[in-house]
Amino acid sequence: MALLSIRNLHASIGDREILKGVNLEINAGEVHSIMGPNGNGKSTLAGVVAGNSKYTVTEGEVIYKGKNILDMPVDVRACEGIFLGFQYPVEIPGVSITNFMRTAVNEQRKYRGLDPLSGSEFLKMMEEKKKVVEMTTKLANRSVNEGFSGGEKKKNEIFQMAMLDPTLAILDETDSGLDIDALRIVASGVNKLRRPDNATVVITHYQRLLDYIVPDFVHVLYEGRIVKTGPKELALELEQKGYEWIKEELESGK
Amino acid sequence: MEKLVKEFRDIQPRMRKNEVWRNVDFAAQLTEDLTLSQGERQTAEYRCNIPNLDAIRVVVENGYCHEELKVDEQGVTSGSLREISGKRAEFVRQYFGKCAPQPNPYLQLNTDHYTDGVFIYVPDGVHVKQPIQLQSVINAGHGLFLQVRNLVVVGRGSHVTLVHCDDSYDNAPAFANNVTEVYVGANSYVEFYKMQNLNNTTGLLNHTYAWMEQGASLRSVAVTLNGGHIRNHSEIRMMGEHCDVQAHGLFLNDQEQEVDNYIFVDHACPNCHSRELFKGILDDSARGTFNGHVLVRDGAVKTEAYQSNNNILLTDKAIINTKPFLEIYNDDVKCSHGSTIGQLDEQALFYIRSRGVSERTAQTLLLYAFCDEVLAQIEFEPLHDTLVDMVKKRLHGELTLCSDCALHCGSPCNGPEANFYIDPTKL
Repeated sequence: MALLSIRNLHASIGDREILKGVNLEINAGEVHSIMGPNGNGKSTLAGVVAGNSKYTVTEGEVIYKGKNILDMPVDVRACEGIFLGFQYPVEIPGVSITNFMRTAVNEQRKYRGLDPLSGSEFLKMMEEKKKVVEMTTKLANRSVNEGFSGGEKKKNEIFQMAMLDPTLAILDETDSGLDIDALRIVASGVNKLRRPDNATVVITHYQRLLDYIVPDFVHVLYEGRIVKTGPKELALELEQKGYEWIKEELESGK
Repeated sequence: MEKLVKEFRDIQPRMRKNEVWRNVDFAAQLTEDLTLSQGERQTAEYRCNIPNLDAIRVVVENGYCHEELKVDEQGVTSGSLREISGKRAEFVRQYFGKCAPQPNPYLQLNTDHYTDGVFIYVPDGVHVKQPIQLQSVINAGHGLFLQVRNLVVVGRGSHVTLVHCDDSYDNAPAFANNVTEVYVGANSYVEFYKMQNLNNTTGLLNHTYAWMEQGASLRSVAVTLNGGHIRNHSEIRMMGEHCDVQAHGLFLNDQEQEVDNYIFVDHACPNCHSRELFKGILDDSARGTFNGHVLVRDGAVKTEAYQSNNNILLTDKAIINTKPFLEIYNDDVKCSHGSTIGQLDEQALFYIRSRGVSERTAQTLLLYAFCDEVLAQIEFEPLHDTLVDMVKKRLHGELTLCSDCALHCGSPCNGPEANFYIDPTKL
């Protein structure tokens, strides 16, 4: 059974339909990349799977671990193991990363019937996970994302992913706004977290990230549908030729 | 009705025509059965459970200060204002009333009839290591009308931290018309922290008048956790150049409570700075007022004055009246003022919840974050940590008047009216 299967998913924001019948199957152990021109529904797809209530699902289903999750609130989906790496991580002045993560880790443990971590257990875990993204202690004591550089914000997303150990991680343009060093750190963080029992979806514009995070499948999301799926070489082809040839292919009815 | 209670009540209608006192109406608290304090004393020991607070404590119980006059090795004096007025009349006369040059009728009533209060004197050039705690306690078992008068005189080039607590220890109704004057000598720095945790039937008109000489700094943070009806009336006058005022407030009120912060900052001289940040969360049918007035006088060039008031209303019935107000009579100034009324940031809520945090916990985290900006202004660490803890408990709905007030007398009070509870699910 697939870890995630999306069937004929239609979703809109306000009156505007953005997703117009997405089909996608993801198995444990796989890395999928979703590419495509701006404004064609990549972030919407991520938001709908994560449970952002600003989108309305009008048709279709999202089956995760055998359950239709569309009626689950966002926090329950997170407790079930879905993680969204934000394209624009939100600044939360007054809430430290430590406090935020401790709350999140313990709420997720509670959901799974586990006792909360003690202060020292938690700090030990945090020290360990900080290494995944070469995060400094200083950062962890600051308010969530407040005054962070673009690179720090994205590192912080992957750090949170390491802390929460999701089964399905969807990373929405995690490479945007990163310099080459930060890109390498973030990508190697994602690779370190790869296991046979989890899966990652990487939404990106650039093939460059896929040099580091090598996908098993590359999908092109265009006008609210996945119109092409291929091996990792498809990303290279897109990098060289752009999206025009895909549009032409579609128009010629192929 | 007691004559003084009636007098106070009769001042109200005509004062409400004045913009400064427009929302002030304590009719609900000024009841028939209030009596004047006779200095009722309880056997309770008023402990303070702020951890690591090694303070010089001066307690005023039901309007009277029974502490012995203390003078430490640095000359820091603390004790009863009545007592010192008898022993050092000349000195007290020099400062008494000085900080409030334009007395309003409520202040005048206090001046004419105050029972007692705390006197504190810090000589020139003294850094007072221990904070000084002024603790006003209401605990008589029956309704009281109180008028406490405190006087703080700080000499030149000194530093002192004051912690001023107003607490109820029982559920009896009470009304207090309390006045604190703070004289800050040249180049001195005074930290003045106010904590208010009163029962739902208590009214408090809490006047604070500060007078600042050249180069003086004042940091004031007032945290209102509970109280039937509280008016914090502050007037701060910068009477020399290069003064700095940081005046902040946080109020968390629910049920039928009413909280009113009035603050007047007088930029009488050039090169002075002031910053005000007041934040409030109101639940149920609670009502709040922020009325801030910054006056920049003619000739007060190079003034910097910033004023801000942010509010979160948790229900449709909660009301906030906010009026940030600048009055400027010269060109060479940097000033700003603003206020907001709103709910919690939806994006931030989604972000937190997307990590597996329940809606309610996410809301509590954000409400706490909202408060943190004001709490961060408390430089005195043990107090900061305690208040952080109390505010968190308050937002979780755990804090009741008696179960965990910072002073914690250990005498449990009963009755549902003592509950202090903001329910974030009502957002």
